[in-house]
Amino acid sequence: MKYDAVIVGSGPAGSVTARFAAEAGAKVLIVERRAEVGVPVLCGEGISQKVDDFKVLEGKRWIATKMEGARIFSPNGTKITLSAEYAGSETGYVIYRDIFDQELARGAAQKGAEIMLNTRAVNLLKKDGKITGLTVQHFDETLDIEADVVVGADGVESRVGKWAGIQTTLKPYDLETCVQYTLTNIDWDSPYCDFFLGKHVAPGGYVWVFPKGKDVANVGIGILASLSVSGKAKQLLDKFIAARPELKKGAPLRVITGADPVAEPIQSVTDNLLLVGDAARQVDPITGGGLMSSIEAGQYAGQTIGRAVEKQRFDSQTLLEYETLWKKAFGKKLHRNYVAKEIMLDMEDKTLDNLADSLKDYKFEEFSTLSIIKALVTKHPSLLVKLTPLMKLARA
Amino acid sequence: MAKPKAFVKKEKCLACGGCISVCPQDAILMISSKAVVDHDQCNSCSICVKTCPIGAISWEGK
Ligand SMILES: Cc1cc2nc3c(=O)[nH]c(=O)nc-3n(C[C@H](O)[C@H](O)[C@H](O)COP(=O)(O)OP(=O)(O)OC[C@H]3O[C@@H](n4cnc5c(N)ncnc54)[C@H](O)[C@@H]3O)c2cc1C
Ligand code: SF4
Ligand code: SF4
Repeated sequence: MKYDAVIVGSGPAGSVTARFAAEAGAKVLIVERRAEVGVPVLCGEGISQKVDDFKVLEGKRWIATKMEGARIFSPNGTKITLSAEYAGSETGYVIYRDIFDQELARGAAQKGAEIMLNTRAVNLLKKDGKITGLTVQHFDETLDIEADVVVGADGVESRVGKWAGIQTTLKPYDLETCVQYTLTNIDWDSPYCDFFLGKHVAPGGYVWVFPKGKDVANVGIGILASLSVSGKAKQLLDKFIAARPELKKGAPLRVITGADPVAEPIQSVTDNLLLVGDAARQVDPITGGGLMSSIEAGQYAGQTIGRAVEKQRFDSQTLLEYETLWKKAFGKKLHRNYVAKEIMLDMEDKTLDNLADSLKDYKFEEFSTLSIIKALVTKHPSLLVKLTPLMKLARA
Repeated sequence: MAKPKAFVKKEKCLACGGCISVCPQDAILMISSKAVVDHDQCNSCSICVKTCPIGAISWEGK
């Protein structure tokens, strides 16, 4: 078996990479250890409507609800509403992530990509130190798959990068550890995605409530692993739900645990190898959202593979085009939000309450980091010192 | 006596991979949708124990 590219993982990063590579003429194989693409769902299922711009999804079956905006609740309950009017295209959908992933995979297959399920990547194939493919375990068989490019789209616990010598181990400081229930029979008929902040609510993270229809919602928590002790995320989420009668009466349809990298992105290219999506830590360090960046990076990765196949050059210099493209598109934003994450982690609950209080009636002309910072600094000149590094990055 | 090694309770693990992504020793693998610790690699640092969101990891023999 010889392919131009073999892709590990059929999540959004893997399927979109496969789609664009296949469309550009490459012979592509996706290997996935699961028995069904997209299952189990390990996700809050919120995404910006900007996903429509990428034209990688057909129909509307993957959409559960269209949201009108987001609300952020500070520790004392002060509410900031980012309505559609101000949040613009950043308001989003709550999706069915299993259908979403399957639609993305279908798109890849339609362009000619092959998919193998029940197939776990176990190591890279190498010849004289050069990566020449992948060894996989398919049911009880061990197979060698030759390929010019190996793509690690294998998510948060990525091994592929490690096999190529890229340091991917996360510091506990850079991981949100998560639990989520999908609750039904609740009284939460709201057109907003809600975020709850506070040291006692979710240290270093937040609780979210993303409605998935009239009486169903994803209710989840992410806390920073460095502030966690065994089982703490679940305990805090259970406490949050128990304190709210409108949620407490609900019954769970699904429970999941999750791990979300909130790190600075890492090296994503080496000779004959690319990392895409969570594997490359392409996740917004403030929100933990990684779906959009996985899709955008997947597009660049696929296109880069297409051009590499045309040139028949697969060295890091050729593949670096991919890293340049995604860094240009959203690398600055990820870095800026990493700095913002560090500033927020330093803030006391009281500071967050003060910030929320000054933003609650603010009419955002434009919803950008710079406009939020400006609003904050006008009301709280003392914050200027803390926020200066962000201001510089937001302007850059 | 040797330090106890991390141990995943299979019945509890929901396979998020969090422990795997933070283990500094690369001592944890996902096998058939369950995290499994390789004793020989584990240095008992406790990072995975603290990280697990549902408390599925404890110490061997406990
Ligand atoms: C609890 C939680 C809530 C989240 N909520 C949101 C949200 O609301 N919005 C948002 O935008 N983002 C959210 N995220 C982040 C989002 O889920 C990820 O950024 C996204 O899934 C990344 O896609 P990916 O394709 O890189 O990886 P994944 O979707 O994780 O896909 C990786 C795939 O690789 C496969 N795989 C791994 N190792 C191997 C191997 N060795 N061999 C074969 N296959 C392998 C896995 O089975 C999996 O199918 C959330 C994350 C968590 C944990
Ligand atoms: S962190 Fe806990 S639930 Fe997640 S894979 Fe590890 S043991 Fe399983
Ligand atoms: S205790 Fe430390 S070394 Fe051992 S498995 Fe857990 S994280 Fe890895």
